[in-house]
Order: sequence, then C-alpha cells, then structure tokens
Amino acid sequence: MPKSQFINPNEVRKSGFVKFKDIPVNRYNKSIQDEKKNFTDADFVRIYRDMAIIREFEAMLLAIKTAGEYNGIKYNNPGPAHLSLGQEASAVGQAYLLDRNDYIFGSHRSHGEILAKGLSCIEKMGDAELQSVMENYMGGAVLKAVENGRKSVKETAVDFLVYGALAEIFARKTGFNKGLGGSMHAFFTDFGIYPNNAIVGGSATIAMGSALFKRVNKKGGVVVSNIGDGSMGCGPVWEALNMASMDQFTQLWEEGYRGGLPIIFNFFNNFYGMGGQTVGETMAYNILARVGAGVNPDQMHAERVDGNNPLAVIDAMRRKLEIIKNNKGPVLLDTIVYRMTGHSPSDSGSYRTKEELDAWAEHDVLKLYSANLLEAKVTDRAKIEELNAYAKELITKTLKLSIDDSVSPRMDLVKNPSEIEGLMFSNLKIEKTEDSAPEVLIPMEENPRVIQIKNKIRYAFEENGKPVSKNKVYQLRDGLFEAIIDKFYKDPTLVAYGEDNRDWGGAFAVYRGLTESLPYHRFFNTPISEAAIVGSAVGYAMSGGRVIAELMYCDFIGRAGDEVFNQLSKWQAMSAGVIKMPVVLRVSIGSKYGAQHSQDWTSMIAHIPGLKCVFPATPYDAKGLMNSALAGSDPVVFFESQRIYDVGEQFHKGGVPEGYYEVPIGEPDVKIEGSDVTILTIGATLYKAVEAAQILKEKYGISAEVIDARSIVPFNYEKVIESVKKTGKIVLASDACDRGSYIKDIAAAVSELAFDWLDAPPVCVGARNWITPAYEFDADFFPQVDWIIDAIHQRIMPIAGHTPKSNFTDVEKMRRNKYGV
Amino acid sequence: MATPIIMPKQGQSVESCIITKWNKKVGDSVSVGDVLFSYETDKASFEEESKVEGKMLAIFFDEGDDVECLTNVCVIGQEGEDFSVYAPNSEAEKEPPAEVKEAVAEEVKPATIEIQPVSQDGGIKISPRARNLAEKSGVDIKQIAPTGPMGRIIERDVQGAIAEGKLVTVGAKEQYSKSSFAVSGTGIGGRVTTADLSSPQAQSVLASTSQYDEVKLSNIRKLIAKSMHASLSNSAQLTLNSSFDAGDILSFRKKLKENAEAAGNINITITDIIVWAVSRALMKHREFNAHFMGDTMRLFNTANVGIACDTPRGLMVPTLFGADRLSLAEISNSSKALTGACREGTISPDLLTGGTFTVTNLGTLGVESFTPVLNPPQTGILGVCALTERTKNGVPYSAMGLSLTFDHRAVDGAPAARFLQEVVHILENFSITLALTGGIF
Repeated sequence: MPKSQFINPNEVRKSGFVKFKDIPVNRYNKSIQDEKKNFTDADFVRIYRDMAIIREFEAMLLAIKTAGEYNGIKYNNPGPAHLSLGQEASAVGQAYLLDRNDYIFGSHRSHGEILAKGLSCIEKMGDAELQSVMENYMGGAVLKAVENGRKSVKETAVDFLVYGALAEIFARKTGFNKGLGGSMHAFFTDFGIYPNNAIVGGSATIAMGSALFKRVNKKGGVVVSNIGDGSMGCGPVWEALNMASMDQFTQLWEEGYRGGLPIIFNFFNNFYGMGGQTVGETMAYNILARVGAGVNPDQMHAERVDGNNPLAVIDAMRRKLEIIKNNKGPVLLDTIVYRMTGHSPSDSGSYRTKEELDAWAEHDVLKLYSANLLEAKVTDRAKIEELNAYAKELITKTLKLSIDDSVSPRMDLVKNPSEIEGLMFSNLKIEKTEDSAPEVLIPMEENPRVIQIKNKIRYAFEENGKPVSKNKVYQLRDGLFEAIIDKFYKDPTLVAYGEDNRDWGGAFAVYRGLTESLPYHRFFNTPISEAAIVGSAVGYAMSGGRVIAELMYCDFIGRAGDEVFNQLSKWQAMSAGVIKMPVVLRVSIGSKYGAQHSQDWTSMIAHIPGLKCVFPATPYDAKGLMNSALAGSDPVVFFESQRIYDVGEQFHKGGVPEGYYEVPIGEPDVKIEGSDVTILTIGATLYKAVEAAQILKEKYGISAEVIDARSIVPFNYEKVIESVKKTGKIVLASDACDRGSYIKDIAAAVSELAFDWLDAPPVCVGARNWITPAYEFDADFFPQVDWIIDAIHQRIMPIAGHTPKSNFTDVEKMRRNKYGV
Repeated sequence: MATPIIMPKQGQSVESCIITKWNKKVGDSVSVGDVLFSYETDKASFEEESKVEGKMLAIFFDEGDDVECLTNVCVIGQEGEDFSVYAPNSEAEKEPPAEVKEAVAEEVKPATIEIQPVSQDGGIKISPRARNLAEKSGVDIKQIAPTGPMGRIIERDVQGAIAEGKLVTVGAKEQYSKSSFAVSGTGIGGRVTTADLSSPQAQSVLASTSQYDEVKLSNIRKLIAKSMHASLSNSAQLTLNSSFDAGDILSFRKKLKENAEAAGNINITITDIIVWAVSRALMKHREFNAHFMGDTMRLFNTANVGIACDTPRGLMVPTLFGADRLSLAEISNSSKALTGACREGTISPDLLTGGTFTVTNLGTLGVESFTPVLNPPQTGILGVCALTERTKNGVPYSAMGLSLTFDHRAVDGAPAARFLQEVVHILENFSITLALTGGIF
C-alpha cells in the first residue's frame, strides 16, 4: 500500500481486453544432427549413462520392494519407494545445465532428480572441490563407505552419490541425512540438492523462499521447484506462484534487487496425482502450462516440454535460464513424463489400462534416446550395452554396501539414546548469519521510532508508585521493536515480511518506524498467503538466511498448517543437522475480534516436535526473548497478545534496559514471590493472576507466588517445582481453551515431579471450550480473577469468607467433559 | 477330593456377610447336614450346613470377619489333602496380632473423640503434603478435622493439629495407627506414647470396667440406628392418633375360636385383621401406598405391607407382598411365616425390602399411643395400640388406638385423617365387610 502507487479510477474503469500470448506446447523439433553444435559425442553418451544409472537404481528398488531380491541380493526394505521409472530423461535433461549453486527442491518421487543433479555437479566440479566436499560431509562418514584407492575422484564421487542416496533410503547412518530423511526426503545440499518433500506441493513455497534468499543476498543461480501435476490442486502452490511474481519485485524493489524471483516451477507432469487423472478427472487446466497465463502478464514464460526427450528438456532449460538471468522470472514448466510403475509398490494400477502402459512402453525414454544416438551414429550398440552393464554393476555394488551393517550401520538408539534428540534443535548462537555490512537506509539513531522511544519511561511506575501514562510509558511493542531493529543493523541477511508490515508498520504497530530504516528487499508486504509466508521463510532460512515472518493473527496458523507443522519444525532433524532454521514466526493472539481472531494456539505449537515456543507478557521479557530468538539457529514461534502490546514493565526493577540483553528461552520467571499458593500463567493471563494475588493477599491474607511461564518449549521445571515444594499448591491459568491446553501438560508434570509436596492436585483454569464470543462476553469465556480464586477455594484450599461465583466442582467438570464443552 | 465352602450370597444386594460363629474347628469330622458356621448380613442371620462329608481341613476366616460373598471360607476333605489352592489370595494372611486386637475393641469410642475424618470407603483423605508433614511431626491424623475440599485433610489442618499437640511418638505410631480411636497423650508435646496405649486409663477405656458395659453394636442395630435417624432428619413426619370400637373384631375372633374346627384351626391375630383392613383402605388412598421420590410420587398398584416385628436382633420389617389381593387367611399364614423367619434370622434379605406401607403393633405390650417412625420413602406407617375400656353414651366398649405417622411433604393432614377414618370404618364394620368381599379364605 505505498502512497507512490496511484489507483486511478479512469484507468481501472476503462473498457478493454486481457490479451494472452500463445503458450508453446512441445515445440522442440531438433535432430541430434542439429544439436551437435551444443553437445559433443561424449556429452550425448554421458546423458545416456546418467539415464541408465537412474533406471537401474529405480529398477533395483522395485525389485527389492516387490520381490525382496535384486541380482541375487536379498533385502527387505520396509520404507516407502515412490519410483520415477520412465521419467529419467526429464531429470537428466533438467540437471544438465545446473551446477552446485543452482538449487533443486523435489517431491516424494525425486530419486531420479537427486542422481541426475548430483551427476551433473560431479561432471562440472573440479577434483579438489569434489574431494573437499566428500571429505567434509558428516566428517567423511559417507566417503569412508565407498572410498577405494584405485578409483579417480570423479568415479569415487559417483559411488558417493549413489551410495549416499541409497543408504539414506535404507535408513542407514551413513546416508546423506543419517537415515532421518529417507526415500521421500533425501537430499544433499553440497550438490545443490535441497530437501525433497513428502507433502504434495510442499516444495513450492520453500523453493520460492530459497529464490528470495538468492535475490535478496545476490547469490546468483536458479532455484527449481520440482513438483507434480497433482500439486497444481494445492493452495500453497498457487500462493507460491503468485508471491514469486509479486509486482513489487519489478515496481518497488531497489535497483540491483529488481525483477521476478529466480525460480523455475517445474511440474513433472505424469498425468496422475496418485491415481487421480489430472486431465479429464481431477483438474481443469487441460494443458498444465495454461496456468502460468493466469499468474502474471509474462504468463510465467510457461510452456509444455516433452520430458521424454532429454534434449528437449535441456533446450527448454537453456532458454529459461536465460530468462532467469535477465531477472524476468519466475518460470513455469509443464514437463510431460510417464511413470511406468505404480505410485508406490502397493499401487494395484486399478486406474489405467494395459493398452496405455504398452503404448508408453513404445515411448520408453532409454529406448528412444539410444535409438536416436545409434541412428545419428554418435555411438554404437556395444557402447550402449557397456553403459547398461556399468549401471547394473554400480547399483549392485552400492546395494551390497548399503545393506552391509558393518559398513552401513543404523543409528543405535539403545547405545546412544539421545542421537535423534540431539538433532531436534541446533541451539547455536549466531550473532549474524553473514559478515557483510547490512543494507539500511539511515543510521539507527536517526530512526524516528528510535528517537521517540528515547523519550519514553522504561518502567511502569513513577517513583511515588503512580502508574506512568500510556503515552509516556515504554510499551511491550517497543521492546519487540528495539530487539528487531537492533538485529536488522547487525545481521545482513535478516528480512522481515508478512501482511501489512511495511508502511502500515504491522497491524499492531510493532514495526512502526522500520520502513524508514530498511530497503524493500529486507522488509516488505506479502500477499494474503500465510502458507507462502511461512513456507518461504523455511526456504529462506535453510538457504542460509534469517527471517522474521509474521502471521497477523494466531488463528491464521490454520492457513499455514503444513508449513508450520511439517516444514518449519522438521527440516533441522530430517537433515541430521545439515540445515539450520533461524526463523522467528511472530503470531499475535487477538482480542475483541470474536471466534476466528482471538484464539491462543500455543498448545498446538507445543505439540509439534522441533518448534520452540515463547509467549512473553512484559516489555522486559518481550525484548529479551526476541533478542534470544534472533540470536539462535532454531525456529521460534513467538506468541504475542493484543491485550498487552501497550503494557509497561511492572516487574523488572529499573525498567527495560536500553542495551542488548537476552532472556533465555525455556526459563519461567517468578513475577511475584509468595509462600501459600503458586499461580502459573502463560501469556497475558499473567495480569489476571497478579490481580488475584493482590486480592488473596489483601482480603484473605494468602500469599500467592506468581510465575510467568514465558516459554512453552523448551520449559525448565526447576523454578516451578521449587515453588510448589514451598507452597504445596498450584493453579495454572491460560487464555487457551481448557481442553488440551498446555497448562494441562504442566499440571501433569508437576503432579509427577512434586507429588509428595502437593497439598492438592494442580488445578487448571483455561478458557471455556467454546467459540470465543463477542468481546462483551470476555468475562464469561476467558479466565478471570475470581475464577482463579474460586478454583483455589473449591479444589485446593477452601478460603474462609470467600463465596465462589464459578463452578469448579467434580460434577461440573464431569458434565462439561461428558458433553465436550 | 477336598471341597471348598463358599460364603453364600443371600439376596441380590448382599455383597458380604459376617461370620458370627464357627461350629467346627480344623480337624473336626464333618457329616452332611452338620452346621459349619453361622453368619449374618446387616439384616438377617443364617447357618451354613455341610453338603459333604470329611474333615475340616482349613478355616480361612475368624469369627467376626466380614467376608465377601462367594469367597472360600473353609475346606472339607480327607486328612492330608492339599487345600492351599482354595485359600483366598489376599485374605489368607490377614491375621492381625491377637493381643492388640483384644485390647483395642473396634467399636469403643471414648468421649474425647471430636472428629472422625473417615470417608465412606473407610480411608482418611489426606494430601501427600499433609501426610508427609504428619509423618514428620508425629501428628495424629485421626484427630485432625479436615478443611480441604471434599473432606480432605490438607497441610493447614496438620499445622493446626501440631499447634494443638495432637502428636504420637514414633514408637507408638505403628500400634496406634492400627486402632481407630484416639487416646490423649502424655509424651513430649502431648504425644501419644506406647505407655499411653497400655496405661490403666487407656486399658480402662478399652476394656470396659465396672462403671459400665460396652456392648458392641450388632450390624442390624447399626443399620436401624442409621435408618431411623435418616428417617427423622430427612422427612416431615407427624402423627395422628385415633381409636375405633373394637367390638366387631373381638367378637369375630371369639366366634372364630368357637368354630375353630370348622375354620380349620386358623389363628387370626389382631395384626392380621389390621393388615387386611389397611391393605383394602390403601387401594382407595393411593397416596399412602406410595413412595415419595422428591420430584415425583410413586403410586403402587399393589399394597406391599411391611409388618414390624420384634426379634432378638432388633426391629425387622418383612414385607407382605400384594396384601390387597390376599385373603385374610392368606395374610395370616404368610405373615406368620415372615415374622417367624425374622425371629429365627433366616429371612431372605429380598423379603426385607419393597414395602409400600408399614403396620407396627405395640398394643400387645400395653402401649396406648405412640409415634411410629416412617420407613422412607414410604409415606405412612400405622401404629396399633392397646385396647382400653371406654364408654360411648354411657355404654362401655373396647377401644383400640391407632397412630398414623405420615410424611407431610407427600400428604396433607385432612387426607391423612380421611385415610385413618377409612381404616376405622372397615374395622368397626369388619364382619360385614369381610363377608361382602369373599370371607376369610
């Protein structure tokens, strides 16, 4: 919403037509003879070799999965195998021109892409570079399995590639990702092979984020998102296509950063999404390339390419890479292929006929290509046979190595029980992700918000105890801002984006003032595309950058479900620590906005392994926790509450420090000391507990200790247990709906850890299990001060003189649960 | 082959029985029909006869033990046979030290006891924290008044008890904890010591001396106590007194005796006549043949008349089901069988429930007027009093008193008076009413 862009009624109301250019469909028609100026005979033959290796690799897996045996070697592989038999030409053709600095992201069916991209890199890399990559990867563990002095570096590298992928598929510790990725997620970033994704279309937003990283940090190269035709039915894929094409890239971003993202959305179109026939049954595009025309005026330079001919694919890639180089991306490719085997070995093929399979067998890519080579006399039959034999030998020896427990052991979780545990978080301190000078527009001290905050009072009370007025007090949102702007002036790769971040300053004014300091490419507005916001952050971070992504309301996590729950959380561990994920995902819990804008979903985030989760409730904690989150290497879901953006610091004596400090993630904080009962809260509910503590003290002479959880994952129980040992009683409160709330988890843990000290069972006070009603009903829905006192009175320790208003009896508890309310 | 003998299940609602007496001991010969042991429920007592022959090989429970129904209580077989498989698993080893048990008669409750923090399931509810504190400080949790939710002793209660000095020494704790009464302590800080437990005072409290006799309440007494108290505290009962001219029923009984042979030697009692009359009146005044259920009245279609019966074990009330459909002779025979079974303690517990109205007769003991106590949820009980000589218009006659207690929550005074009037009318015109409705048989 920049003011520089004028929405002219005379323009937008004008009559006219949207015009489309023709979309090319299989326009490649060169012969081998024509191509001889682009390829040597050795190049033509190497293309065949790469296809033959992939064919044999997949054929071996098919034999292992269906017959338990390949070439006399028996093995049982219980894991998945989504094979790309028949699609080899497209993978090799795509990889042919790509090098290490070009990144590919794939799908569940990407074995062929891994091998093709790896073989292409090996061909292009020098021996020293190759040797160094292999020696340094996982401390040389993969190399050790295939090393053999009699081979050349390139020969070793081919063995290394095939072995690393297969050992990964077989869940071996010597696989590329220590066996934690597996068939659907194997990857090797040193060859520019980025994560393959078992969620259909999952790679689209992540690859787009990786392209964003390349653009923002001027890294060069292209990103290819390899997804299937079925994924065109996924919302996040459309979000990625659109966000990669945003007008601001060409109209608002500064010189040097201008232009659509360097990404090719390549759809390996095998005409089936599992068994659903995309043309004629489940989709409407007829020709997939058509979709590009709906996304941007360049029609995404979309075309259909015959993926059955490797030379046609190379030709298309050569032209598209030129477009990318000229900053005219993104590109959409509809690369048609045919999968000769089932979706997976359990596929009975009930959705297609033998005639169809036979017809495509006539178009078998190896058969067609070798015939072309022979016809053009580029090579002879003997050479083809030799390459086939070589592929079989390579796969046979690699299979033997991969299933040999002495060479390829699995993780031993009995001997080393913390081996996976140790990979869930990387827990690094990274002040800045790169050393270059961060790009900013003005010195920090000239930033208008920084100047404004200088005049604010950093503690909530004056010396005489009177509260400082809202206008003068340093607020929670100021704490967040200080931490964030500080990091922008330190870490050059840091970017922040989300809906209405720039100009508006974020819906809740946390970012007010950032626009003045930061160029577009570091701070921008996104489309209303939560999946793309989070997914791109995942891609940006795994490529080496740091991101603050923002979802305006917590409730919108639902729109980014896969990206938060499956992508942001899992890639560090699934990469066995190769990938880091320094993403801060800011989510704001609404107030006054009803059922779809007021929910506290901390419990859902806490349930997913691999995410850190914090929820500060004071300016001191907000700044300190944001500093910690922005100095780490792990994904942190950073909860904020719209109830308390304007609170001043009431607890930290001396107020919020001006300088840099960190509040460690995972440490709860005692806000008020007491001796009779402990009240533990998550988030804004802290202030209800503080009020309750005052009433308990003044009216009933009960001394309450108030603990603010601050963090949810991780969570150190020491202070809580210490408190409960003292008081013997604990009530836990949170604005999250009571059922399944994280406070129940804490209550259960306290029951176990402090059982002998408890004077009553821990009692939870959550919001009702209803929709959040209108603001006028807040007191009926969210935990209130008297609910906390009533809970103590009815379930922990009857308080003389107290008359409860709410119902915490057994009968009521049973009733509510019985009816699920 | 050895045969285990189980504790029989006497009626649907009975879960356990108490063994009152063993007639055989281990090693005794047993013949078919020998009484092995006597036992009682809270309502009746029984004898278990042997159905097999042999030697008593094992006895798993003592007299006074409360035994779950269908549990093995003893084994009969041939000398030397293995009976271990029949031993009830957990109960077999339950042999509390005899001396302590003797000394600590369970039901003795010195007046010093203030609170019984004993929940319905018999345990003391106490938080882990409060229990730990009590252990550490030696406080006597039996003397603690719970103030926590749902009767739970919480930390502050123990702290209060410490302040009041309700403590036990470590040495005394084990023995004391097995008892269920409180003794005032003489140890440091008022702790109960082992000496306190064996002191003359304690022993005198425990082993009743010359001043009074402590008699253990029988189960049935406890039950009566509980139900009578519940009746009085949970309903709004009041009693109407009336009387009727008993001339007709007395002459009817006289004539019956005179014609005893012709009447098959039947012995119709005053109570039988009253039950007959009441069961007929109930059909016209259904609010008395009813249960008061709080929100509803359950009006019964037959009169199931409870007949209060004095037995050596205490008051029992067997039910005469469908009395309104029984002839006078049937009522007489059935009620004799019921009261006989009660006196002998062989009544089935299922015949002790299900009454819709109750008749109680204290007239034979010369009581002229009394206040019967309702048997909730029944709405009425009729007390039958003694005969007195009265005159009407200068003519003397025999009057018999009736005392009707009813639940004012269910019925008002006027309908109650009308019901009583109906009963009086039937009784004063008994012969003719009986003749009109089919006679004695």
